[in-house]
Amino acid sequence: MKLYQRITLLVSIVLTVVILAVSLSLLLFAKNTILSLSMEQVQRKQKTLRTSFSEMANYYARSDDSEAVHNSLIKLCFNRFSDQSSVLMRDGKPVSTGVTIDPSVYVTSDSEAFSEGTPVAITVQGRNLLIAGSSASVGTETYSVYVVEDITDTYARIQRMAWIFAGVSIAAIALGAVIVMLLVRRSTKPITALSGAAKEIADGAYEKRVAVRTKDEIGTLGEDFNRMADAVETKISELSERNERQRLFIGGVTHEFKTPMTGLILHAGLLRRANLSEDERDASLAHIEAQTQWLERLTQNLLKLFTSDEEIELESVRIPELLETVEEGVAPKLKEKGAALTVQCETDTLVLNPDLMHSLLNNLIVNAANAYDADAPEKPIVLSVTGRTFSVSDRGRGIPKEAIDRIFEPFFRVDKSRSKKQGGSGLGLALVKAIADAHGASIAVDSEPGKGTTVSVTLP
Amino acid sequence: MKNRILVVEDDAAIRDAVLLNLQFADYDAVAFDDGRKAADALEDDHAFDLALLDIMLPGMDGFELFGIMERFGIPVIYMTAKTDSASEIKGLRDGAEDYIVKPFDPLTLMVRIEKVLKRVGKWNAVYRVKDIVVNTETHTVTKGGEPIELQPLEFDVLVALLRHKNMTVSRERLLNEVWGFDYLGETRMVDVKISALRRKLDLEDAIRSIHKLGYRLEDR
Repeated sequence: MKLYQRITLLVSIVLTVVILAVSLSLLLFAKNTILSLSMEQVQRKQKTLRTSFSEMANYYARSDDSEAVHNSLIKLCFNRFSDQSSVLMRDGKPVSTGVTIDPSVYVTSDSEAFSEGTPVAITVQGRNLLIAGSSASVGTETYSVYVVEDITDTYARIQRMAWIFAGVSIAAIALGAVIVMLLVRRSTKPITALSGAAKEIADGAYEKRVAVRTKDEIGTLGEDFNRMADAVETKISELSERNERQRLFIGGVTHEFKTPMTGLILHAGLLRRANLSEDERDASLAHIEAQTQWLERLTQNLLKLFTSDEEIELESVRIPELLETVEEGVAPKLKEKGAALTVQCETDTLVLNPDLMHSLLNNLIVNAANAYDADAPEKPIVLSVTGRTFSVSDRGRGIPKEAIDRIFEPFFRVDKSRSKKQGGSGLGLALVKAIADAHGASIAVDSEPGKGTTVSVTLP
Repeated sequence: MKNRILVVEDDAAIRDAVLLNLQFADYDAVAFDDGRKAADALEDDHAFDLALLDIMLPGMDGFELFGIMERFGIPVIYMTAKTDSASEIKGLRDGAEDYIVKPFDPLTLMVRIEKVLKRVGKWNAVYRVKDIVVNTETHTVTKGGEPIELQPLEFDVLVALLRHKNMTVSRERLLNEVWGFDYLGETRMVDVKISALRRKLDLEDAIRSIHKLGYRLEDR
């Protein structure tokens, strides 16, 4: 059952009970008022009739009147004041009556009940009657004077009124229910909107928001809902971005592994299946050795890349000593390329992870050495430390402007063939970036094609 | 006449292995490690029956190189580590004859090369080993100019051995290539055909049984 239906039903029930109670009590009150008014009227009328008749009859009556005279006198006196509701009785028999129903039917046996002049309501032959009666003495005789008022019409009016009340009540309840339903539906519309939006978000439409502008609790709920949706969207896009990066990275890794794997498979196949000459066998083995070494470098770099992602240990390191070990490490590479390295150091100690920073500088210097063309005149590579900034400058071929943004991506190579020939795994600069990030350091690249490149890493 | 094949692949290990495999199968192969160099060389010499191209190449990539191949009417098979279907669709829609994904198996490469050459009508139908000439078009075998009678299955096994000359071919692979599907029957049937070939063509020494691997038709 929907909320608006439930609320409408509840409100209708309450409305019915209230309206019924109110109209019933109103009806009863009206009925009683009308009845008591009629009764007062009947009582007054009976009192007047009795008093008038009694005084007049006693005034004129003589004890020596014959019975016939006496009876005529009594009738005369009574009729002087009576109307169609007046009844005069003696010894339980009507003497004079104006009513249509024979009064002896209802006053004979229990005439005492009406003797006090207090009106009583009875039903006779389907008619509603109000009867008030009391005794009046004329000489030695006792008469009963009654006023019998037929109030059947009044009763009918009250009944009609009850029907009207019922009709009005039903109409009021129905109208009330419809109005409540419309109002509740209107105020629950934002809830329907919220529910729809929540469903869409659940189905992946994370950019969905609701437009609930009411100033009540539902409006607040709408605002909270939108805030929640913002948070979810941000989180989801972060996650999918990371997912995408990871997917690209894994794709890159797979691709990087495939080429050496192909070489290995082909040469292993040759060694196993072909009748090779001594020289051919040697060449195949040399290829296998080179490919496995290259794979080893690749996995080493991958491992470093993953471990530098974790919390790293920092210590106070004497920079001149660090630079010395870096210099030793890159010496063979520099010799191979015929490049020179100049080291300038103005900083004594810094807090960093020496192994990772060694790896970072090593990568930058190897990249710098690779930036020289074989036939280019020798220009020194400069490794300098100033304050908290490490920088490596070369005067090699530089990086094309459009490539600068991408050089830190794993497996991005400005020139695929050259860097491969130089044994690059495609992870060197990605590693530099990861190590810098682990230290909270910033990286700046300044490069111009044909002029050279400077990479600066500044510790926080 | 030998079929001439152009190989453009920048990875030395793969390039050398493919060249060796092509030479074994009597192809005349020429290799380049750079797309630009290959394109320049084609201007002087473009008498190739097929080109095996890597896609990610220095100088000029495989897709660009394809345009030049098309100009000289050289059919192309791509060899690449790019497994995503987008590049596959691009390669084939542009008219490449086939596409082989690294890492691949050299025997499969030989089968694919043969299929493409047959399809484009450049297939040199004649195999030679020692004084034996096998013509796959006329299904005839001569030894020293004298025709030799071979059963159809013997002929097919001989052709499969010739296709992978100097490489060991397993019995299963021979059955597969001869019947064209994975034959689950007796591999001993192969041994019977091999001994018939050895006897009829005097190839006792040339067709070598390699322990646990299969047979190798040696000719070098």
